[in-house]
Amino acid sequence: MDIRELKKLENKRKMNKGYMWALFCAILWGIWYIPGTIIWAVPPFDAMWVDIDATHGGSMATIVVALLISAFNALTVIVALLIWNAYLGKLPEMKRTLKEFHPCSKWFFLASIFGGPIAILGSFIAIGFIGAGFAAVAALTYPVIGSILARQWYGEQISKRAWMGILVIIVGGLTIFVGGAIAEISAGNLSYIGYIGGLMAALGWGIEGAIAGKGLDIAEPDVGITIRFLGENLLYWVILIPIAALAGYPILEYALQAFTPLAILVLGFAGITFGFCYVCWYKSFPLIGVGRGQGIGNLYGLCAVIFMYLFMAQVPAWTVLVGGALCVLGSFVMISEETGEMESLRGE
Amino acid sequence: MAGLRPIKFRLLELFSDEKEHWNYEIVVQMQKEYNMNSNFGRDSINFDILELASGGMLRSVQSKVDEDGVYKKGFLLHKYIITDFGKTRASDACLAYV
Repeated sequence: MDIRELKKLENKRKMNKGYMWALFCAILWGIWYIPGTIIWAVPPFDAMWVDIDATHGGSMATIVVALLISAFNALTVIVALLIWNAYLGKLPEMKRTLKEFHPCSKWFFLASIFGGPIAILGSFIAIGFIGAGFAAVAALTYPVIGSILARQWYGEQISKRAWMGILVIIVGGLTIFVGGAIAEISAGNLSYIGYIGGLMAALGWGIEGAIAGKGLDIAEPDVGITIRFLGENLLYWVILIPIAALAGYPILEYALQAFTPLAILVLGFAGITFGFCYVCWYKSFPLIGVGRGQGIGNLYGLCAVIFMYLFMAQVPAWTVLVGGALCVLGSFVMISEETGEMESLRGE
Repeated sequence: MAGLRPIKFRLLELFSDEKEHWNYEIVVQMQKEYNMNSNFGRDSINFDILELASGGMLRSVQSKVDEDGVYKKGFLLHKYIITDFGKTRASDACLAYV
């Protein structure tokens, strides 16, 4: 084999590795919906909702419980990520990266604002007010935002082929969830807050990816994602939860009651799946770019449906199967692209 | 060692002399500086170089097959040079730019 062939092969391997990370992200993200759904019914979160509902109404109850669940989710994620980094021997690198706040780690803290209290909380708000179907549809559009921003901010090259793949996956995702979303919307009596939540999820995750891409230029992904979750934990535990407590909600009381074996087990499962889903997401960006990474990551919609069917017996409708087929088709459109000549994801 | 900067910062710094460098030379030097002498440390540093190239901050100008096993026998070796974009990102990172 001559050197040109070898080079092509090496590039191809690199892209395939990136796609593999993005696919792992989608699978783990899909699994995460299991603990993400169960946790609402686990003590003390179920009692907390009933308690706040009695004094402040169901809407506020949903938002405040969502806030506490998001905060615990972030907490278990950071534990999983710290163990991961310790195992990889990357704790010294984390210290070095944290110190470089101005040139580097500020990007991850910024990403945590968009990814955490905007995207994740927005997502929970959309679930609470309108429904999981609507929340998923709204979030599926995030790769469009991420790709456009990555192009505008640092000239990431996205081929026509990759665009096509991203669009087919989004159409597939919409087909999966749109039936449920229409049912939820036509059930009527909806609050506009739910729509704002959906918008927060799409904008938040799209912007997070593009910002994180900038930080990842000069940082290692494993370290970058941990710093991003450090930021998210600070936002919840230092700012948002104290504000909710000061506003008179019994959030701290219930936070203390959450240290039961069952709650810790479910939250731990959520932390492991969500944490490693994020690790994979960030690891894919430098290899295949933010646009492709998010496009393949969008297969989480399909994975969620499969896992919910397998483990929680939620039987999917026929539209889900059509949508799922489109998602798989879209990812093949992207993955089968000839990538041997692509040495860099950025234009000169 | 005190005063070490993140690995990708240091990599850009090493390339900021605008000369061409072979990846294995850089990896060996980095392994010493960061005390990452295991095979895992070696591969992890090399992967950071790959990511920098993928992000358009380094450009491969020459490649050859590692016949003698100076890095990993049978694998491709690359000679990289910093790009204009790499210089911009390096100066963003407040590196003392030569």
